[in-house]
Amino acid sequence: MSTPQVPGTDAFDLLSAELIAAFEAWSPGIPSWDAGDLDAWARRAFRLQFEGNTAYGKYCEARGVGPGDVSGWRDAVPVPTEAFRAVDLVVGSGAAVSLTFQTSGTTRGRSAQGRHLVRSPELYRASLRAGFRAFVLPGKIATKIVTLPPSLTEEAGSSLGWMLDDVRAGFGTGDGVCVASPGGIDWSLLDAEVRESVQSERPLCILGTTVGFASWLDRLADGRSPAVHLPMGSVLMDTGGEKGRPGLQRSTVVRGMVHHLGLSLDAVVNEFGMTELLSQRYGYGDPAHPLVGPPWLRSRVLDPLTLEELPDGAVGILCHYDLANLGSVCAVLTEDQGRIVGEGIEWVGRTAGAPPRGCSLATAELLEAQGRA
Amino acid sequence: MPPPSFWRRRAVLEAWHLPGLGESVAEWLEGRTRAGAEFRAPALSAAQAGAVAQSVRRAALEARSNRTTGEVVGSIAAAASKLSGGGAEGVATRELLRAELGWDERLVRDTLEGMARTWTADSLKGLVDVELGGSAVLDGFVADTTWTGPGHRSRRALGSPVVLQVLAGNVPGVAITATIRALLVRSGVLCKLPESEPGLLPLFARLLAEEDPLLGRCVAATWWSGDSFPAAWREWAKWAGRAVVYGGDEMVEAVRASLPADTDLVSYGPKTGVAVVLPEASAGAARELARDICAYDQQGCVSPRLVYVVGESTRPFVEALASALAEHTRRHPPPDPTLAEAVAIRSARTACEFAGYEDGRSLVEAPGESLAWTILASESPAATAESLPRVVWVHHVPNLETVEDTLRTLEGRIQTLGYCGAEGLQKLAALATRLSVSRIAPFGSMAWPPADWRHEGKHQLLPLVNWTDFEIPE
Repeated sequence: MSTPQVPGTDAFDLLSAELIAAFEAWSPGIPSWDAGDLDAWARRAFRLQFEGNTAYGKYCEARGVGPGDVSGWRDAVPVPTEAFRAVDLVVGSGAAVSLTFQTSGTTRGRSAQGRHLVRSPELYRASLRAGFRAFVLPGKIATKIVTLPPSLTEEAGSSLGWMLDDVRAGFGTGDGVCVASPGGIDWSLLDAEVRESVQSERPLCILGTTVGFASWLDRLADGRSPAVHLPMGSVLMDTGGEKGRPGLQRSTVVRGMVHHLGLSLDAVVNEFGMTELLSQRYGYGDPAHPLVGPPWLRSRVLDPLTLEELPDGAVGILCHYDLANLGSVCAVLTEDQGRIVGEGIEWVGRTAGAPPRGCSLATAELLEAQGRA
Repeated sequence: MPPPSFWRRRAVLEAWHLPGLGESVAEWLEGRTRAGAEFRAPALSAAQAGAVAQSVRRAALEARSNRTTGEVVGSIAAAASKLSGGGAEGVATRELLRAELGWDERLVRDTLEGMARTWTADSLKGLVDVELGGSAVLDGFVADTTWTGPGHRSRRALGSPVVLQVLAGNVPGVAITATIRALLVRSGVLCKLPESEPGLLPLFARLLAEEDPLLGRCVAATWWSGDSFPAAWREWAKWAGRAVVYGGDEMVEAVRASLPADTDLVSYGPKTGVAVVLPEASAGAARELARDICAYDQQGCVSPRLVYVVGESTRPFVEALASALAEHTRRHPPPDPTLAEAVAIRSARTACEFAGYEDGRSLVEAPGESLAWTILASESPAATAESLPRVVWVHHVPNLETVEDTLRTLEGRIQTLGYCGAEGLQKLAALATRLSVSRIAPFGSMAWPPADWRHEGKHQLLPLVNWTDFEIPE
């Protein structure tokens, strides 16, 4: 890729350092993050990205938007997630990137992996940990962290793997464990951790994909894994929903897990994240909405036809703004449907691929035909 | 005459025409078109489906004895002219299509008029003449003058008494066209209607019944959800000697698997239109192509999606096409795309726009954030396209050889190859035959094939007939 002309890497480093400090200083209830502050950060972030991220700068120029037009986070021009597949979106040179996350490989029958280049793992970490501290482990109870796969060891390029590894390293009692085996989950190790937790009365924080928990539920239901009452303060965090196992109902998984592990529904946290966003939202119980997040992660709901903002409560296309994306693009237009609920969002679903029109050749068939070459 | 009553209270469309059903409908199936029009059809039991099939068969056989093909042509043409005419029936038809498809009045009228041109008595008679040498061979045995054996031989052509039709998500009118072809070869029709446009064939069948009640009883049509094959289908399949399917590969395979082994199958798969701008094309070429793109809301298998500009840069043609699409859209605004289409159009625009920022060889022309039309232009040859409304991919190619190389991946999948300009036209025609293109047509008529075109390169009537040879010794 071409090397963009940037105002100097110092500009990114400087702003990034300020944001790290602000993220680390934040906890829910601290009034330092009012709307004015966020907008002030957003103006600086937009200028940096407009000038330093060449492709994004051109995209904004084509829409007649420059730094002078952005007075707050809502004004930042959003890039569709597809852009992460088309080009490398990064502020400054790609050489400055120290971390790369791969997006999922398919969209509407097309196989095309995108990637999110992360200039500052420290900024990502600061956002991730601030959110996790606030929304998953708000208490000070000594908790052991247990993660189901993936971890980066098994799945290089997985933003979820990076997240789980970082949480294990940065939280809890310092002896966290990933229960991974070459074939998937190391069930005997997971079962041993559960038994040990019950015996020692030391709570667990177990993190994994919804699909991973569904596999565990299968074992709990037929007795291959022990049903227990986990100690007070234990938490499950699932993410991903039915991705990877079509037809899976999160509700079934969550209710089954709390039944077999002796937990209350509000001890189950649902994490909502995307490779294209470096901050996360969280919801509690079942259904897990609203999904709330740190104050530097905001969302709007847009009319899919006009991209006009819809009033709170109306279902439309979700458009996120995330200051932790300082090194790429903060404003991201998704293909997800959702709505604003109070201080958070409700994720309604992914927009399914457009069905073929009439007797014209369908998308998948055209693309398949190209594959016959 | 008042318009046929096909609306119920609450404006629910009656998507069925089932002679022989009787009075008792115990249960109704309800559906909704893409544009939101609600419709319903009876949930047929196997016994009811069987009664309908037998009724259609009886009527078809009776019509063979009591009606000449010329009379059938006359009744079809009379009913079809009412659909597109200025009378009450035409008004009702246009109202129906607007509701089903969400199209504006002009697009509906243009589409209907275009289709109706192929349903006139002259067009239908011409089709029978071209493919079967006249209608006499459908009405009785005709001496075979090529016979060189002893004595005499005569021949008669007739379709199966009953033909099954499955129409998966087709453009409006295809169900009627398919039904007319079957009626011309003196078959009765059992039709599963498309969810996207389930109302037009039942309306046509009612008009046909008004012209000739016997012919009206030769057509049965109804709808059920999805690609399933309920008990009613299995019953129908028992009575049909031939099935005609419009649908994708999966649909065709599913139908084939659901039929008795000896049922003949004629299938029409999804295809696409490709347009080639030859050097020194006329100034009006872009305007003509815009018309082809917007016809049928770009749902047709003949609708252009891929455009190749031979020679210099695409830029001048893209600008002219953008201007033409803007003008066409101003006069004929398209229906809103679905949510999924909206997301897909934005995604395609994004991919093209950002690729352009990277290599400077791609660009998007569109009316701002509006999704009314989109041109995705690239200076690199490729056969990349998606099936999205009023979206075309325009690629630059240095010469026709590159067009052929690029399109080889779509061999057998191109329904119409449109052209403008004369330089290299014969070469274009030669490469089209190598790619198994079924029609080469100038811009402006891509979307409007004539009545006797070889649909998918096949005859329209010949695949539907069985021949009987009658040999008489000296």
